[in-house]
Amino acid sequence: MSTLREIRTPADPARGEQARPPRFTRKQINTAIWFAVLMASTAIVLYPLVWLLVSTFKDNSEFGQNQGLIPNDPTFDNYAKVFEGIAGVPMWRFFANSTVIAVAATFGTLLSSSMAAYAFARIRFRGVGIFFAAMIGTLLLPFHVVIIPQYIMFNNLGMIDTYWPLILPKFLATEAFFVFLMVQFMRGIPREMDEAARVDGAGHVRTFASIMLPLIQPALVTSAIFSFIWTWNDFLAPLMYITSPDKYPLPIALRLYNDQTSTSDYGATVTASFIALIPILLFFLVFQRFLVAGVATQGLKG
Amino acid sequence: MFNAHKRRSILAAAALTMAGALTLAACSSDSSDPESSGSDGGGEGSGEEVTLDFAFWGNDVRADLYNQAIALFQEEYPNITVNSTFLGYPEFWEKRQTEAAGGGLPDVMQFDYSYLRQYSENSLLLDLGPHLGNEIATDGFTDQILSIGVVGGTTTAIPISTNAWGMYTNPQLLDTVGVAEFGGGSWEDYQAWMAEVTDASGGEIYGGTDYTGRIQNFEIQLRAEGNNLFNEDGTPGFDEARLTEFWESGASMRGDGASGISQQQLEEIAPLSGFGAALTASELTWDNFGGGYLGELGESYTELGLIAPPVTVEGAQDLYQKPSMLHAIAANTENPAESAMLVDFLVNSPEVGAIFGTNRGLPASADMRDGIAFEGLDEQIRAYEESIADRLGDAPPVPLVGYGSLEEKFRVLGTELGFGTISVEDAVSQFFAEMDVILGS
Repeated sequence: MSTLREIRTPADPARGEQARPPRFTRKQINTAIWFAVLMASTAIVLYPLVWLLVSTFKDNSEFGQNQGLIPNDPTFDNYAKVFEGIAGVPMWRFFANSTVIAVAATFGTLLSSSMAAYAFARIRFRGVGIFFAAMIGTLLLPFHVVIIPQYIMFNNLGMIDTYWPLILPKFLATEAFFVFLMVQFMRGIPREMDEAARVDGAGHVRTFASIMLPLIQPALVTSAIFSFIWTWNDFLAPLMYITSPDKYPLPIALRLYNDQTSTSDYGATVTASFIALIPILLFFLVFQRFLVAGVATQGLKG
Repeated sequence: MFNAHKRRSILAAAALTMAGALTLAACSSDSSDPESSGSDGGGEGSGEEVTLDFAFWGNDVRADLYNQAIALFQEEYPNITVNSTFLGYPEFWEKRQTEAAGGGLPDVMQFDYSYLRQYSENSLLLDLGPHLGNEIATDGFTDQILSIGVVGGTTTAIPISTNAWGMYTNPQLLDTVGVAEFGGGSWEDYQAWMAEVTDASGGEIYGGTDYTGRIQNFEIQLRAEGNNLFNEDGTPGFDEARLTEFWESGASMRGDGASGISQQQLEEIAPLSGFGAALTASELTWDNFGGGYLGELGESYTELGLIAPPVTVEGAQDLYQKPSMLHAIAANTENPAESAMLVDFLVNSPEVGAIFGTNRGLPASADMRDGIAFEGLDEQIRAYEESIADRLGDAPPVPLVGYGSLEEKFRVLGTELGFGTISVEDAVSQFFAEMDVILGS
């Protein structure tokens, strides 16, 4: 929006003082300075990413000896190595595993969290306050506290080395953060909406599906983005529950190139990390549109 | 509103059904997938169909080697299926710690010396005593090596390989600066040699790294004087004065213009070491690090020197062979006999030796060494461990619980000494405070 204003302003003085139009108005100079500063800070912030990209073309022996940006002897060896896979498991397999887990977990989170949020926001059942407080309370529990009991539970259920320990909890609204996010969002939606639906004869299921879900779309999109990225990058949970190398998701596979006790292939690590970054980037680019749109509509309503 | 109650029960029913369906789906998918269900339902005697879980740490190269070795094993014992899994070293132990608490340790594990006492004392590892000489052949091991895996009188692990403390040098760098290889001698001689290299190169490279940052150098000095770093009962074998003396002896190797590489420069090239980055001409370390150094140095360096560390007391048995890794079996295994067969195969078989070479270190078993045609660096390491036979003493007691964090504390304090952010006196008192916490608990 501010850009539009900047473009429009130069026209005004040109009309007023035609005798000696200044080459640059004060505003234009300000804008130029702002752009320079912003670009400089962007370059600083993006430098690690650029370094990562360029380093994928460095030979493994160059790491540590050449910390600079430009590779001494650009090579595609790292890509060849990475696409070969690890210990007989092809690289695409890790991508597929990560995708399965992230998509299922995201779907589960959206479904279960929105249902749980609807219950907290719109249904007055006995103990709603206590349950809500307990749900918020789980936000304060670090993962490391619950991991051993959780492991014992899934071990007894015989679910070790399957994706169930990673996916099942997401279908049971265990992600309190998303439930809370959606509850707050639903509380902001006028009750008249559901009352109108009730007058028309809709029950909770209908109200939830036809009224609430479309209205909380921005919250859903936000949750989807975060849930996908968190699951995609999650390291500890798959580490605990997955044992077969051909079931590893990407974050675990990436570490397999490094071994402190013998040799580490930094070139392959860097390259694999960069490739693993691409889906996240694409996911964000696709959904960012909805996110911005969602926030904008919310603003209009408020 | 009069309908609300009914609707609520419908919703509850729907939720229950869904949760139930998910649980059922989980169970059914698991039971229809026998490969993933571990070693459930295994039999006792050999000949029955048995599944073993096997876990090791390492990189993709080692994983390939293990895959080959296990394929051989399954060829020999078609009734035993081995599911192997691997991770990097820190992740491997993070996962084992959880499994140990949750009762899900894999049947056979590659094991580390520093965790052996903790797992043994918590009865998480199988007593291998009954299997020694039966499933697990012991002819290839010296008594000294077998005793490495004994904790509190019980054998809980078998060493796969050994390594010893040694000194790597970079002959090509030494050639460039025109200084002869370190000819052996005392620690003072070594420091003088380091200074000579640093001076000869005009400060371009360094003679070495401040060795007082590594607890192992302290340990071999103590052993030469007839003490241990830590005794079997967990008491330290040194006092404040001895540690102060040790750290003060490194003063000439620290700081700007010193004979050793500066700590700041080391931080800049991390995770490479000064030696791996061709900035130092020598490094005191375990002898199995050579391959890693050659890899880090790149193709322009093809050979390394491997010589004995400086001598503290002439004629003392200050060095010892440490298992670089061991194999252990979980106490909760359902197939102890088959697990022991797998361990035997992995520590003794010459064919497995031929596959691994020295990837896992110099094999502890003579039978396995027979299968390896040593060459290049491997031959150097084998010859080195033979050459130091006179200086090899008994292995020290199995490391204490918490030894790892003490070793790390020692390293961190060494780093701070290198930065000059701490005085030797403060470093000593901090280390003793840390020992109080860890040994007292």
